[in-house]
Amino acid sequence: MKYYPVQVADDIGNLHPRKHLALAELADLGLQLEGARPDQKAGLKASLASKQRQLAQHPYSQKLKAFEQKAQAFEADLKDKQSQWQNNSPYKDKRVAKLDAELKAAEERSAFYQAYQELSYDAELAYLISQRQQLHLPGIIQQQLDLEKSLAEKEALKAEAEKQDRGAVKADIAAYRKQRQEVYQNKLADLKAKERQGQISSKALASERKMEKLALKEDLALKELEDPVKGLEEQIRSIKHSLKVGIKEKYRVMQADISDLRRRTPVEVTAKHPRKFLLNLVLPGLAQLANKQYIKAILFFLGSLFIGFAAIPYALGYGNYQGQGVAGLISLAQGGRRVDRSIIFMIEGIMAIFLLILALAIYYFAIRDAYRVEKKRIKGIRPHNWFETKESLESHGFPYIVSTPALLVIIFIVLVPVVTTILLSFTSMDPKHQSKFAWNGLANYKVIALGQGVAGKAFWHILSWTIVWTLAATTLAILIGFILALLVNQDRIRGKKLWRTIYLLPWAVPAFITIMFFSVMLAPNGILTELISGLAGYVVNVKNDTTLTRIALVLLQGWLGSSYIFLLCTGILQSIPQDLYEAAEIDGAGSWKRVQHITIPLLLYQIAPLLVTQYTFNFNNYSIIALFNNGGPFVPSKYGNLAGSSDILISYIFKLTIENQYQALGAAITILISLVLMFVSFLGFRKTKAFND
Amino acid sequence: MSIIKHKKSSDLYLSDKPPLTSLGKVFLALSYVILIAWAFAIIWPLAQMVLSSFNGNQGKAISMAGTYVFSLDNFRYLFEETYFFSWVKNTIIIALASALVTLLIVSFTGYAYSRYRFSGRKASLMTIMLIQSIPTFAGITAYYTMHNIFSSVLPFFSREALLVLIYAGGGIASNTLILKNYIDSVSTELDDAARIDGCSNMQVYRLIIMPIARPMLAIIGLWSFIGPFMDYMLPKILLTNPQSYTLATGLFTLINDVRTMNQPAFAAGGLLTAIPIIILFISLQGQLVSGLAQGSVKG
Amino acid sequence: MDVRLKNIGKKYEGREEFTIRHINLDIHSQEFCAILGPSGCGKSTLLRMIAGLNSITEGELVFGDKLMNKVAAKDRDIAMVFQSYALYPHMTVYDNMAFSLKMRKESKEVIHQRVLEAAKLLQIEEYLYSRPSDISGGQRQRVALGRAMVRKPSVFLMDEPLSNLDAKLREHMRVELVRLHKRLGTTTIYVTHDQTEAMTMADQIVLLNKGIIQQAGAPSELYHRPANVFVAGFIGTPAMNLIPGKIVQGQYISDNQLIKLHPSPDDAQKLKAHEGEEVLLGVRGERLSQGLAEANNFQLTVDVVEMLGKEQILYCELADHTELVVSAPGHLEFKSGQNYDFHIQSDALHFFNKASGERIN
Repeated sequence: MKYYPVQVADDIGNLHPRKHLALAELADLGLQLEGARPDQKAGLKASLASKQRQLAQHPYSQKLKAFEQKAQAFEADLKDKQSQWQNNSPYKDKRVAKLDAELKAAEERSAFYQAYQELSYDAELAYLISQRQQLHLPGIIQQQLDLEKSLAEKEALKAEAEKQDRGAVKADIAAYRKQRQEVYQNKLADLKAKERQGQISSKALASERKMEKLALKEDLALKELEDPVKGLEEQIRSIKHSLKVGIKEKYRVMQADISDLRRRTPVEVTAKHPRKFLLNLVLPGLAQLANKQYIKAILFFLGSLFIGFAAIPYALGYGNYQGQGVAGLISLAQGGRRVDRSIIFMIEGIMAIFLLILALAIYYFAIRDAYRVEKKRIKGIRPHNWFETKESLESHGFPYIVSTPALLVIIFIVLVPVVTTILLSFTSMDPKHQSKFAWNGLANYKVIALGQGVAGKAFWHILSWTIVWTLAATTLAILIGFILALLVNQDRIRGKKLWRTIYLLPWAVPAFITIMFFSVMLAPNGILTELISGLAGYVVNVKNDTTLTRIALVLLQGWLGSSYIFLLCTGILQSIPQDLYEAAEIDGAGSWKRVQHITIPLLLYQIAPLLVTQYTFNFNNYSIIALFNNGGPFVPSKYGNLAGSSDILISYIFKLTIENQYQALGAAITILISLVLMFVSFLGFRKTKAFND
Repeated sequence: MSIIKHKKSSDLYLSDKPPLTSLGKVFLALSYVILIAWAFAIIWPLAQMVLSSFNGNQGKAISMAGTYVFSLDNFRYLFEETYFFSWVKNTIIIALASALVTLLIVSFTGYAYSRYRFSGRKASLMTIMLIQSIPTFAGITAYYTMHNIFSSVLPFFSREALLVLIYAGGGIASNTLILKNYIDSVSTELDDAARIDGCSNMQVYRLIIMPIARPMLAIIGLWSFIGPFMDYMLPKILLTNPQSYTLATGLFTLINDVRTMNQPAFAAGGLLTAIPIIILFISLQGQLVSGLAQGSVKG
Repeated sequence: MDVRLKNIGKKYEGREEFTIRHINLDIHSQEFCAILGPSGCGKSTLLRMIAGLNSITEGELVFGDKLMNKVAAKDRDIAMVFQSYALYPHMTVYDNMAFSLKMRKESKEVIHQRVLEAAKLLQIEEYLYSRPSDISGGQRQRVALGRAMVRKPSVFLMDEPLSNLDAKLREHMRVELVRLHKRLGTTTIYVTHDQTEAMTMADQIVLLNKGIIQQAGAPSELYHRPANVFVAGFIGTPAMNLIPGKIVQGQYISDNQLIKLHPSPDDAQKLKAHEGEEVLLGVRGERLSQGLAEANNFQLTVDVVEMLGKEQILYCELADHTELVVSAPGHLEFKSGQNYDFHIQSDALHFFNKASGERIN
């Protein structure tokens, strides 16, 4: 901003004339300067500059300064008086005493500031606030006193009632209870009889019974209150609740009212450019302190504590488990002690980076907040007081606050491991370099691409089988489920419920059990092996034959996966409106035509996005490969010693990483397939409804 | 006798459907054949498992060669010679904990994402969804080491706790999305009404939205509970001591490890594990499928 | 309780324009005030601001003598009935009605007594222990009303409460709402887009369009003296006929020269200042009568006749195909395609400035 604005704006956007006469003059000159002819400009500029320099000597500034000094003295004095009033209050209740002292202070302020209203907006605001307090506080105090009085009365009544003999009332209540319960039982019996006669359905019976029960409970509870002690206890509880929350609520209303005044009364400052926010570069919170937002400042100081005593030291290597903070990422424990492990250095480095990101975020928000506050102040908008900040935190901050646990879990359980894997893929972590390994660039990716070495040898074979496996197994399962759903849902098929229950079983039985059991049955001497061998006439050993194992895997997954597809399709088929078919029938479509032109397209349209998941699921279906034949049979000539011929990428990675300690290579493959999977999933759910609202 | 013969009532054609053509009849018969064949393909292996679990006349391996002797020996072996009960206990503890952690986290995020418009709302969810399409085990190397680091700071941070966090963390995005969609279908006028009736933000959720969303929360909880029962890989990596295994890893030792092999006992354990889950699935199939379909964006 | 709105305005976060602004309104104690307007005119926003569900950007909202701007919704001593009823589906009718009192920790006795009282008045005692899903739409509507009543609020707010009911039930509930209002005497602010509801129920109608109050007043005032063209067009079915024309020598002459009218002496006085200006003539269908009079006559061709029983709506044309709608008593006979003479009563004329749309006479 080049010149002072002529008018100051409040938070609502209304403009107010300046009360600061010196600034008003400057603003006026600025305005003249803008519209001035070139030859006048120099003179105006000079006078503007001199006035700016003598701002503090301006008579108004002097007056304002005098007022400010006086106000300061007044406030300091008032503070003492207020605490005296509070301590020597005629009221016993401490909260009331405090409110009463506050009210007296408001009266004093009102008298003091009234005269200065025209001088400055600060004075005007102070006056308005004191007025508002005088409007609210008496009501709050009165309410509290009334409540206390009625509480005392009720308690006296209760003590009285407790002394008296309540035998008759109690007997009456007991009698009522008995009689009411009888009524209830009779009604129930009546309802049951009706149900037996078929007048009402069993569902209606259940809901009626529930209703009767509720009515009984309510009636009994109400009758209990006829006992005077019980009734009074109830009332006392209610009064106590009002006593507890009443003050708070009303006080909150007053504060909200005051906040409203703050939003509507501008402020005038002599600064033209935000500068104080720069303090936050040194220490987040300092600028807030300078802006007199004390609690906010404390919060940011807490953030600073985190930065200064957690994030930065950790990043520098202090307080690490073993590593050296961020530096550990570079050194990877090279040349360190024997016990130092590169992987720990790496992970601690990554955690350090996440902590630093958090620290930077705190820095950023502290600076941005201070900058915005200052910029607004220059325009005329008052900074929020703590009450206002709290209110906006409660409404706008709510989603952030409740999402924090989720964020933490995701950072440490998802992000840190994923980043570790990405970094690992550029290192040389293998069986020979377990404890200490080094960065080695794209070497792992090269090994994979060229199919070199012990570990890389099998990659391309495995990739091609993985693709075949994914397509074949998933498509088979989809076909089976789809066809079964169409067949079962024909009008003329009977026993639909039975079929559905049977076809649900492969899904309901935990897959690992079925896979293991099939594995056992197809082992040499297994039941199925003997059955097949008997049929074939010679010994068929599925698990020793690559092709047979692969066929068995695909069939097994077809068996397992069809259930879910079947259920899904059935659900959709039942939701296709019948009139569509009727319309088609009237149009002359035969039953096959109807299936072809209505059922199949509708079904495909609805399940297509869900099918993507099925393919990605099988792509990653570790369980079936590992549990069925553990990737075997092994064909060392083609696959090397690490992988078997039915291994898919995921089980291969598992073997590389866990069983054979080629972690770096495993990570590289993981990254490659993750990229592909992310792309496929992105295509899959980009179109889903949830993202498009 | 009247000239017009009354048809017997059983001959009356009552159905709305047109009578079947002969081609239609063949097709219907074929349908039944296929359905029965597939039902057989499902039931036979499961029946084998049931049969062998009660067959006392087997060795270490399942076989139907000898005569069938009904006995509970396999179950006895399972209960007395293996850690079956600790596996059940471990699995249930892990499953319960994952369900609880998931519900705790997701119920808040689902509500926040549905009811509040805040910056970064859509982008954050999309990012997490994308990151989560990376298979969970991508981080296995890191999990190992992270467990070392964490447990050195927090001694109570066990491997099981890490497992629970991995299960819960893996489902945050998709479950949030499912719950968000469900809460979206609840009119915001209910929130307004509750606010006027005196509820704070949290009370609106606790007293109004959560009870209404209970069916969906139940489904999410159920799926999170079932997950650990079905998973084999993560416990295999993270749990090292046979006594701390879950059911899936534990039962696998009965068929793949020569020292502990006892296939009939495996069949018995499988049966015991499967029955409660089957009952659960059959009774709740509708809800579970709809929950799955909604959560299908999960990677 | 009096409700006063002083220069109320609302600007949503992230938007440049005010959704509504400069709303000044006095709603007297015990009055039934309807806020009427087309959808998107800001009427619901206004109601939600009064309820405390939306914040107030500028202006003052005063209940009685208390400023309410920042008071939380629950502390405003209001009750609101929503379009979808917003009954809590997981609670019984009883609990729905008792919920707000329970939140205030009111004693059980008071709760029970209030709930029963409301239930009796609304005839829903039988369903007290049912769930909202088990009762009919009309009953739900009553429960929603009951829930509002048990709080004994000083202001009732209703957001299109009848729009989810079928036509027959709506008519019935309309009467009942009026009866209820008479009986309780609570200040009621009622938002609707249905002018029939507003006309039949309200003591005061506030017609809102594009975030601005077009006219506020008694139903008859809005009907008989619409303040501008929008009000004239919005209130009344069939809509008022609006014919462009000019004031020439104290007379109104339509642009197509087919209608020439002598205004009443009162109107003539006011029109003097607008001599030669372009105006819109507004006239309601029922003030066009068949037959010739001393003056203000013209001929119409009846195009379509819509017989409603006690009256009939005639869709007519002037010779140059300018369309006019006439509402005639049901017993007269009109044939489609024939010409008839009509005249306008001189006290039934509304004149509007063509450019600004404001009323002249």
